Amino acid sequence: MILEVKEITKKFGGIQALTDVSFRVNQGEVFGLIGPNGAGKTTMFNIITSMFPPTTGEVVFIKKRLTGKKPYQITKEGVCRTFQNIRLFPDMTVLENVTVGQHCRTSSGVWSGVLKLKSQRMEEESIKRKARDLLRLVGLEELEDSFADNLAYGQQRRLEIARALASDPKLLLLDEPAAGMNEKETNDLFELIQKIKKLNMTILLIEHDMPLVMKVCDRMAVLNFGKKIAQGTPEEIRNNPAVIEAYLGREEEDELA
Amino acid sequence: MLAELINPYYLQVLSFILINIILGISIYITLSTGQLSLGHAGFMGIGAYTSAIVTINYDLPLIVGILLGAIVAGLTGILIGLPTLRLQGVYLAIATLGFGEVVRVLFINWEGMTQGAVGISSIPHIGRELVTGLRDTGFTADMIGIRSNQLISVLVFLILLVVTILLISFFVRQHRSRVGRAFAAIKMDESAAEAMGINITYYKVLAFAQGALVAGFAGALYAHITAYISPSDFSYHRAVEILIFAVFGGSEVIAGPIFGAIFLTSMPELLRDVSEYRYMIYGVILVAMMAFRPQGLIDYNMIHKLKRLRKKKDQKTIDEKESKRHDIGS
Ligand SMILES: Nc1ncnc2c1ncn2[C@@H]1O[C@H](COP(=O)(O)OP(=O)(O)OP(=O)(O)O)[C@@H](O)[C@H]1O
Ligand SMILES: [Mg+2]
Repeated sequence: MILEVKEITKKFGGIQALTDVSFRVNQGEVFGLIGPNGAGKTTMFNIITSMFPPTTGEVVFIKKRLTGKKPYQITKEGVCRTFQNIRLFPDMTVLENVTVGQHCRTSSGVWSGVLKLKSQRMEEESIKRKARDLLRLVGLEELEDSFADNLAYGQQRRLEIARALASDPKLLLLDEPAAGMNEKETNDLFELIQKIKKLNMTILLIEHDMPLVMKVCDRMAVLNFGKKIAQGTPEEIRNNPAVIEAYLGREEEDELA
Repeated sequence: MLAELINPYYLQVLSFILINIILGISIYITLSTGQLSLGHAGFMGIGAYTSAIVTINYDLPLIVGILLGAIVAGLTGILIGLPTLRLQGVYLAIATLGFGEVVRVLFINWEGMTQGAVGISSIPHIGRELVTGLRDTGFTADMIGIRSNQLISVLVFLILLVVTILLISFFVRQHRSRVGRAFAAIKMDESAAEAMGINITYYKVLAFAQGALVAGFAGALYAHITAYISPSDFSYHRAVEILIFAVFGGSEVIAGPIFGAIFLTSMPELLRDVSEYRYMIYGVILVAMMAFRPQGLIDYNMIHKLKRLRKKKDQKTIDEKESKRHDIGS
């Protein structure tokens, strides 16, 4: 077990975004976190990465308590994420975005940077090399000099993944990586996730694209209105009446509206 | 010959341009993490007063006084930077503006130390000290055929030029390093930067302190070039003037505030008639820039395009060489 989410509850004023949610993610698996809009999935990511604290409960990562740590410390521990509403550094080039991701694994300070010490130059070399390797992995190697802002939507999503991978995470959190992608891009993404998995990484995936989720996840948990309503393998989830109810119920509501 | 070429007045204008460039750099550093400070006149004043007081009252050498001025300003920067970390944009601007006013009022009221509103005069002058020093080694101005006050202006200008070039290359190198990338990431998206493993508290305070240190350094140099300072030198007007260098020239790349400082300092000198309306023009520039080019005249895009042009040129010459080789080969 690599990640343990223990009885997390989160209140925003009157809204209860998460109620007593617990789950465990095993080393090396792709774990899906699914549920209808507003179910609390992104809120869970924000709590795991300490963007804000939970109201109650705690998150433990390889025997270390993450709750109460700062976001940058959590990245250093080996948990890194992408954002649902893409948050690249827009005025940086593609390559620079990935180099920033390596910040917590490198150490040059003001003086070694200004004096260009040998250690610093070597570090810069290796930062660039690794960034290019990652760009090749996600298929953006030819765009390294473009501004992140100028990339197409699907490319930006892949760049976010490369940037997160640059921090050498043991656990990678992906928030709707397939959103806005066409079928071909989604297939590429599927293959990318398979490749990342082979790099000995654990993935926690939020995704609305059900075929993708069913194909790529080993296990998954389903949230609805902030509560966990099911957990299991794709097969178990597909046939779970509560899950069908949650999704169908929403659709009927939509139809009525 | 040389004697006719050297005009102390022009050299003095050039020296003030250089001081303003250093001030422009100081605001650029703070802005490069997205922090908007109106306290730089205060830091400048702290540097100026510290150096003036220790060189006059304790007879410390100029260089020690100037460095001490910069350090005291930098430490004050840490003290101000830490509690204001949570403030963004206009709230930080207002808080630092308040800080600048507190500093100015302190200079006015702490009469025992600062001589109040009258200001401190007969501060040791960099140029004069140097000429005296040179005389002791046997070198005098007439040996190269110029007057002593000409030598003084030349020396002041050269020292400032060297110091400015050193500072620029320091911060250009920092910008291209891991630290510079962290600054830029924080400026573009603070929480994304933190999620990517950057300790934003550390880097924001570092940038704030560096900006304060450089402003204090500029202030100390200013004190030893004008030989006279008073609280009104470090008022709200100065804070806005420093900010305008970056607003006009641009704050995305270091060339921006440098250009802003050069242009806005030389403009009133070149156009004598407009110098009366200096602050009015600043106001117009502020409004016009905010409306038409909020990132300032020089921005990332411009630099990026220039780089691309150069790359293309390089590529062209490589291609040409290649084709020549082929020609020879065939
Ligand atoms: N910072 C916040 N402040 C107040 N309410 C919030 C905040 N973040 C989320 N919420 C609320 O919490 C609930 C869960 O939101 P969340 O973004 O976690 O949903 P989600 O499962 O990610 O949905 P989607 O699939 O649409 O991305 C929503 O009702 C949302 O409005
Ligand atoms: Mg979401």
